[in-house]
Parts: sequence; C-alpha cells; structure tokens
Amino acid sequence: MPLLALLIFVPAAAGLACLLVRSPRVMSALGGLAYLTTLSLGIALLPQVLVRGAVTEWNEFLCADALSAWMVLLISVVSLSTSLYAGRYFQRDLDARSITPGRVRQFFVLTPLFVAGMFLVVLANNLGVMWFAVEATALASVLLVALYNRQTSLEAAWKYIILGSMGLALALFGTVFLYAAAVGPHASEKLPSFNWSHLITVAPQFDHGLIKLAFVFALIGYGTKAGLAPMHTWLPDAHSEAPSPTSAMLSGVSLKIALYALLRFHILTTACLGSGFSRHFLLGFGLFSMFLAAPFILVQTNLKRMLAYSSLEHIGLICTGIAMNTPITIFGALLHMGYHALTKPVLFFAAGNIHQTFHSLEFRVIGPGVVKVLPVTVLLMALAALAAIGLPPFGLFLSEMTVISGGLAAQQTTVSVLILVALLASFCGLLQQLTRLLLGPRKHGHVSDARRTDGAPAMVLLLGGLLLFSIWLPAPLLELMHRAAGIIGGTP
Amino acid sequence: MNAPTSTEIGSQLITFFAAGMLVFQLLLVVQRMLLTNIRLFALQSLLLAAIASVLAYVHNAPHVYVVAVLTLIGKVVFLPWLLNRQVRRIGISQEIEPLLNAPAAMLLCGGLTLLGYIVARPFTALERLGNNTLGIAITLVLTGFFLMFNRRKAITQVLALLTVENGVMLAAIALTTYGMPLVVELGIFFDVMVAVMVLGILVYRIRESFDSMDTSKLNQLKG
Repeated sequence: MPLLALLIFVPAAAGLACLLVRSPRVMSALGGLAYLTTLSLGIALLPQVLVRGAVTEWNEFLCADALSAWMVLLISVVSLSTSLYAGRYFQRDLDARSITPGRVRQFFVLTPLFVAGMFLVVLANNLGVMWFAVEATALASVLLVALYNRQTSLEAAWKYIILGSMGLALALFGTVFLYAAAVGPHASEKLPSFNWSHLITVAPQFDHGLIKLAFVFALIGYGTKAGLAPMHTWLPDAHSEAPSPTSAMLSGVSLKIALYALLRFHILTTACLGSGFSRHFLLGFGLFSMFLAAPFILVQTNLKRMLAYSSLEHIGLICTGIAMNTPITIFGALLHMGYHALTKPVLFFAAGNIHQTFHSLEFRVIGPGVVKVLPVTVLLMALAALAAIGLPPFGLFLSEMTVISGGLAAQQTTVSVLILVALLASFCGLLQQLTRLLLGPRKHGHVSDARRTDGAPAMVLLLGGLLLFSIWLPAPLLELMHRAAGIIGGTP
Repeated sequence: MNAPTSTEIGSQLITFFAAGMLVFQLLLVVQRMLLTNIRLFALQSLLLAAIASVLAYVHNAPHVYVVAVLTLIGKVVFLPWLLNRQVRRIGISQEIEPLLNAPAAMLLCGGLTLLGYIVARPFTALERLGNNTLGIAITLVLTGFFLMFNRRKAITQVLALLTVENGVMLAAIALTTYGMPLVVELGIFFDVMVAVMVLGILVYRIRESFDSMDTSKLNQLKG
C-alpha cells in the first residue's frame, strides 16, 4: 500500500470534497475521518520505518525516515483533535452570527490542505520540494488567520504573509546555495539529484563556503516560520487573531514543521563541517527565544498572545536541546515536541471557549474568576497549563528534565543553568497570570449563555493522551525517537 | 584569433541581461507611478526569461526552456496583467508614497549594490556563465527587501516581494549549470502564482475594511 502518498492525498481529497458539501457538520466529519485515516497510516508506517530504516515511494520522490515518521504522528494527532473541536466551535460562531457560512467552508477546505502541505514537507525527499511545501502551508494558513475578517485579523494576516514570504524567499536562497554546494565546482553532464537520501551521502564533499551561506539563509528563513526570536514578531499576532482551532494547529505543529525543515539543513551542515558551526547558531537563537518569551508572558494582557509567547518559549527549548547535540538532549527535545503538541491545543481550545463566552480575550474583560462561569473549561485549562509550565506528573516535566540533565551530564553546565532560569521565569509568569485570570472572586456579572462542557471531548482526549504517554511510552515509539535523535545527532 | 564560441557569446549576453535586471530594479526604486512599476517588473522578468533561454541554448538543456517559458507566461504576462487589473478595479491613486525620497533611496541602493558584490566575491569562482550574476542576484534580494520597507501601499510590497524572487531565481541560474531540477522550478512557479493571488485577496479585503491600502495603518496589534 502506498502509505506515504496516501498520507498526502487523503487530507487533500477531504479538503477538496468539502467544496462540494453544504453542511458544516458533514465537512467537519470529512476532515475528522481524513485525520483518523492519516493517524492510522502513521501508526502503520512506524514498524516499516523501524525495520527498513527509510521508506521510499514514487521513485524516491517521497521518503520517510524516523524523524519524518515522528512528525507524521504529531501532525495527525493535532489535526484530529482540532477537527474534533472545530465542528462545534464554528457551529457556535454561526449561531452567534460572528462568521458567515462561506468563511466556515473556507476553514474546512483550507485546513486539510494545510495539513496535506505539512505532510508533504516531512515526506518530501527533494529539499526543493520541501521548500515549496513549506510555502504552501504558509499560504493555506494565512487565509485561515484572516478568517474572521476583523481589522485586526487582516493586520495579523498581512504581517504573517509579508514576514513569512520574506523569510521563505531567504530560505529559497538557502536552498539554492545548498544545491549549488551539492553540484560542486565540477559540474557533471547530468542534472545531479537534490534528494535528501543522496545529499546526506555526499555531504562531506560540499563546498564549505556555500554550505555555511546556505545554512545561515535557511536559519533566518525557516527560523522566521518557526517563530524563533527575533524573527517571531508575526507569531503572537497570528496566534491571537486566528480562530482557536487554527491557533492550535499553528502552535501545535506548524512551528515544529518549520523547525523540521531547518533541522534538515542543520544535519547536512553538521555532516559537512562537523558539529561546531550550525549548532552554535541554533543555541543562540534557541536561548534568545526562551529568554525573550518570559518577560513578554508576564506583561501580556491578551490570553492568546500570552499562549503564543509560551509557544515561543517551548520552541526555543526544543531548538536549544537539539543544539546541545548530545543524544540525550536531542531525545529530550523530540520528546518535548510530542508533549507540547498534546498540551498546547488544549490551552487554545479553552481560550476559544473563553473568547466565545466573553467576546474578548483581554484579561480585564474576562477576568478574574472565570472558573465561576466556565468550570469545566477552566479545570481542563488549568491542568494543561500545569503541564505546559512543566509540573510533574505531566510529560513536559520529564522532557525538560531530560534536556537539562543531558546537558549537565555532557558538561554543558552554563547552557543547562540558563535553560533552567528561563524555564523558571516563564513558569512564574504563566502561573501568576493564569491564577489571576481563572481563580478569585467574580467581579463582573454572571454571563448567562455560558456553555459548560463545550469542546470537552477534544480536550479530555488530548490530556488523557498526555497523561498516558507521560507514564508509559510504548517501546516502538521510544525506538522511533531514538532513531530520530540519531539522525539529527549524525549517528545513523 | 578564433571566432568567439557560442559559450562566450552566451556568457556575454547573460552578463548584459543581468546588468539590465539591476538597472530595472534601480528604476523601480525611484519610479513613483504604480502602473509604470508593474511594467518595470514585467521587463525585469523578461530579461530573466531571456537569461534562462540563453542558458538552455548554450547548454542544450531543454528543461531550462520550460523555465523560460513559465517565467514568460507567469511573470511577464499573467502577474502584471493581474496586478494591473487589481489597480484599476479598486481605483487606487497612482502615486506611490515612499518613506525615503528618491535621491536618498538611490544612494542607499548604491550602498546595497556594493554590499551585494562584497558578499558575492568569495563565490565568483563558482559562477558558471556570465560575470557578476551572483552579485546582482544578491543585490536584487537586498534592494527588494529595502523596497518592501520603503513602500506603504500593500500592492507595491507585493511587487517588492516578486523582485526578491527574481533575484533568487537569477542566483539559481548563476550558480548551477542547469538551474534547479524541473520539479522544484515548477513548484516555485506554482507557489509564486498562488502567493500573488492570496496577497491579492488580502489586499482587496484590507482595502474594503480600512478603506485604504496604506499598510502603515495596520498598527493595532502590539507587544
């Protein structure tokens, strides 16, 4: 069975099929069915990757190694939970007349295409194809950010597309330089392959100057899309103005997909120049993102903007963990990707409920004492928030400890301490902000049309998954992450 | 003296066309009329298509002709037509209001050109055909970014983005004998077309919502 091709075609077909149906319920079911299919395909892919190392299809056009297979699972899980939440969410928006049916259809058409684009990013063997898949995800998601058509959402979408396109133009420049480095000074008659599986074998012979240039351009380019500071300025705008299901997708997977693209460049650069060059850049940008996030979390007055800065902190940690370049820290970073993908959507779903109830995301309008109005939502949100700030028994504690202890074991004391400081700072920030908002006496009057259990199934499912995987990681999954860490660390 | 070979003539033609691309870019920087800007971009893309076809002829590489034809159809005919139509449909005033005046902008772009050549210097040995093409490519990217910041109207920012893309494509031709693999070129082409359409949709909606295309009015989101 052509697993990889189906992974891309199933969501794309579901998106196009939504053009033909009218009822939002059917559209949402189509999406959910597609993501369920991709999740089972992803699980089916897992043993194949473990046995064969890399699965290729279509004359090596598509290729999945352990790292790709891990990303496939993340994309599927986040998309599936989003589709569980999105159906009812937009139904409520339609009832409140805050959105038109045409725009709801736009959501259900574009989201599966966005997902198909992300699958293409992680499954493309050709790095040029990977670039245009990243650009395609940006184009699909920008209209989702602008979905509500408010002045602010148009502004967010415009900043997102302009910064994103500038970044991706630089990434394309990096891609061109990489190709030039691969072609080498002695041009052969034939058009050389730009496939990952070919590049990684010839990486040591690349032109050193060009590969450095290629990595720096890719870092700025894909780093913009991944939201690394200081290129992150579009991130809080887009996350806060997008509809909550889209915010969950952007934060839960889209950032990591861009980081994945950057990692492919990092792996090639490391294979060519040794581990000294690219990892220092990643370390700098990762730590800077972490330290920038903490004060911004503390001063935010908008719920979803604050969550966006928390995503910035997590992506910074993942980047730093990879840059520390020991098997344990890379493993911890990959683990962190997974746990974060299970946690962050819950927070954005809860923020969506709050937004729909209070018609605002500003703290002074909604708080304090949200728990009196939306008890179930607040309970689930609090659990997810405790997970996000890294308290046990949730997995994020585990992955953060893995990164820090791995760093300490490898004598990288300074970096480990810096990570700990940054984590503590945003721990305090998030805890203080959310306590003030969610708990305490209710000052404003009771909101009459509060819906008590909205979106609970999706949130319970994600949190349940998080708890389950925090205490029990299945052996194949563990093996998959070890292999992926091996690929990044350069020991295949 | 031997008669110049087709490679030498091709090399000179490519150098000439690349220089032309740079000239059009600098004209874009100082030109204040929107429709003329679109025409200048079309001419610049025409030169890019010409470079691709010279390359295809010299190397006898048929797939590069495909790239040339795509550039011709997409960037010389279709996109300028699309942008023109949009300008007329929403009836924007013709004048562009740059942040920096023309002499200052020109001076800055001169500096950027110098910078582009300095960055390109270590790599000139890698250029396949023509001279200075990599320097010009980097300059196009840098001045394209400057254009983006210097213009307030949304549609001129789209044009600036497209000139950056032209620069990247020129670099691809300059550094590799046959350009990128065809599937990549097709993908890039498709992406650029869709990107301009998406940007067009956004420009239209911004225009409806703000009653203006001035992107400096997009300033409500902070922190």
